[in-house]
Amino acid sequence: MFELLGHGLLTVLQWNYLVPLFAGTLIGIIGGALPGVTITMTIIVILPFTYGLDPLQGLAAMTGVYVGGSAGGLVTACLLGIPGTPSAIATTFDGFPMARGGAPGRAIWLGVWSSLFGGLLGGLFLILVTGPLAAIALQFGPWEYFSLFVLAMAMVAGLAESSFIKGLLSTAIGLLITVIGTDPIGSVPRFTFGSEFISGGFPFLPVLIGIFAFAQIMSDIEKAAVPKTPEAVLTAQPSLRVSHLKVIGEILSRPFLLLWSTIVGILIGVLPAIGGSAANMLAYDQAKKFSRHPERFGTGVPEGIIASESSNNANVGGSLVTIMAFGIPGDAVTAVMLGAMTIHGIQSGPLFVSQQPALAYGIYAAYILAHLLMVLILAAGALFMLQITRVRLAVLAPVVLVLCVIGAYALNNTMQSVYVLLIFGVFGYALVKGGFPLAPLILGLILGDQIEINLIRAIMTDDNPLLFFTRPISGALLFCAGLSVALAVWQHMRHRARTAREEAPDF
Amino acid sequence: MRLGRDSLAGLIFLAVSLALLVQSFGLPQLPLVPVGPGFYPRIVLIFMAVTSAALIAQDLLARRAEPADVPAPAQPQPAYGLVALAFVIVALYLVVLPLLGYRIATVLFVAGLQATLERPATWRQWAILAAIAIATSAVTYLVFERYLTVLLPRGSWTNW
Repeated sequence: MFELLGHGLLTVLQWNYLVPLFAGTLIGIIGGALPGVTITMTIIVILPFTYGLDPLQGLAAMTGVYVGGSAGGLVTACLLGIPGTPSAIATTFDGFPMARGGAPGRAIWLGVWSSLFGGLLGGLFLILVTGPLAAIALQFGPWEYFSLFVLAMAMVAGLAESSFIKGLLSTAIGLLITVIGTDPIGSVPRFTFGSEFISGGFPFLPVLIGIFAFAQIMSDIEKAAVPKTPEAVLTAQPSLRVSHLKVIGEILSRPFLLLWSTIVGILIGVLPAIGGSAANMLAYDQAKKFSRHPERFGTGVPEGIIASESSNNANVGGSLVTIMAFGIPGDAVTAVMLGAMTIHGIQSGPLFVSQQPALAYGIYAAYILAHLLMVLILAAGALFMLQITRVRLAVLAPVVLVLCVIGAYALNNTMQSVYVLLIFGVFGYALVKGGFPLAPLILGLILGDQIEINLIRAIMTDDNPLLFFTRPISGALLFCAGLSVALAVWQHMRHRARTAREEAPDF
Repeated sequence: MRLGRDSLAGLIFLAVSLALLVQSFGLPQLPLVPVGPGFYPRIVLIFMAVTSAALIAQDLLARRAEPADVPAPAQPQPAYGLVALAFVIVALYLVVLPLLGYRIATVLFVAGLQATLERPATWRQWAILAAIAIATSAVTYLVFERYLTVLLPRGSWTNW
């Protein structure tokens, strides 16, 4: 294993891999730092650039974006009080008061070093656990796969913050999109209404880009009239000089907090389709609960920054485990990575690590190196990131939309994918305005074909439907799915009074 | 009683799922495969119909429980007109893309959307807007076509 990892590190350290990784990490940090631009949006923007690269170059760039984006949000969170991405929301709670209290360097570097430590611990988990989990997944038959996918969807729908029913309906919409076109077993056209446009079904990536990118850009445009960051804060040029040994000491003197936040981040990452936005809030909440002085949280305590930043980078490692071991995306970012792998003809899933060891260990190596590059980039240009936040939406929106169009067009060099992009852009925006969570839809969209194939395979092997329940692993997975739904129903009934307010959409 | 946003969404999805459910029974059966191509879509559509109905029921019950006409707290009004205009500009871009080609259509799109979102007031601002539009088109074209060998749309009118 370590020999393969060493080989992966040596490979990625070559210029032709290091340059895309560096560029990805830099763009990720910039995207993460820009309020209103999420990591999902950033990875969608760089997706078309990866079409012309070899698979490892493309995946290295995407891993860089993921790692950089998870850390980049802390710059604006600490210095402006505006989280650059949803995964840095909790960093704002203590990072901004600490920076405003005269220690901006300490706030930034507590975040950067916590991101590094959390990320590297998440990487350790990624490297050690992916192989054994994939080996377990290799024992799965179609019954177990079907049940695993059902569990994944039940969990995601249950975790939808706005409404459990909307989460389930959103899942159903995602599944419905996948049944349009030819059926995967007998190639019979379904719900195509004789139209050639949809005879092949809707390609996954244009749908994903349309739903996520348009929903976000249009949501930003509708707020165009609302005044944003106060100029006074932006024009201030704080000094970020700090004793790094002291800051690292501050983090390492709280090993339990660092470890627990990392574990929270990893676990949230492993769960399908929820990302860093949930991880940092949960880790912050846990840190507050375990603290002897919870009342100090929100006033600029280091614990708040350490918890938030270590968890959101560890979350990246967790998400990569799920995609590499099971082929299930941990969140929207890994969903795009999954799409990019498909374009290069790579099948993600239990066989990925054993059949493509060079690529798998290359991703591990890229993940580790991206963390080191992230520290270097932030050391060189944290204040420069602040300047970049001045880029106006009027400039950003058209450029991002052009890259989305290229991303859709270049998939198969037809305008059809671009029209699909627009159709689902409008649809995604309408869903967001209707308060529907997008994560369950995306998971339904990704898993729909696999669910159908495994269901039909299981029935073709043995038409006894009870096998889904009586085979131990499949039964246990379905039991967990039922439990997850029951828990979600109970939680939503308990919190119904509190859910009257509209939730902010989580991209 | 006036329908709420959730009820309306639920009704649309319920109608779609029921219409497609009816259509799924018309799909042909395959020899060798014990279940036809309509089997799995029916499960999905029934699931969708049930959740849509649940959403309508939840919304109606919630509206009955809440006192009517509670004034909402004052919030900035979203600029829906601007969003609609942005969608129209994107749609126009997609119409002219295969006609004018990537390079020209992209310059027009970037300039048009920029001007719509933030109208330049001076000649200098117009010049910056034009420069950004031309630079976006030129840089992306060069990077994708020349370095990444990703082909971009040619215009049937301009052949460029």
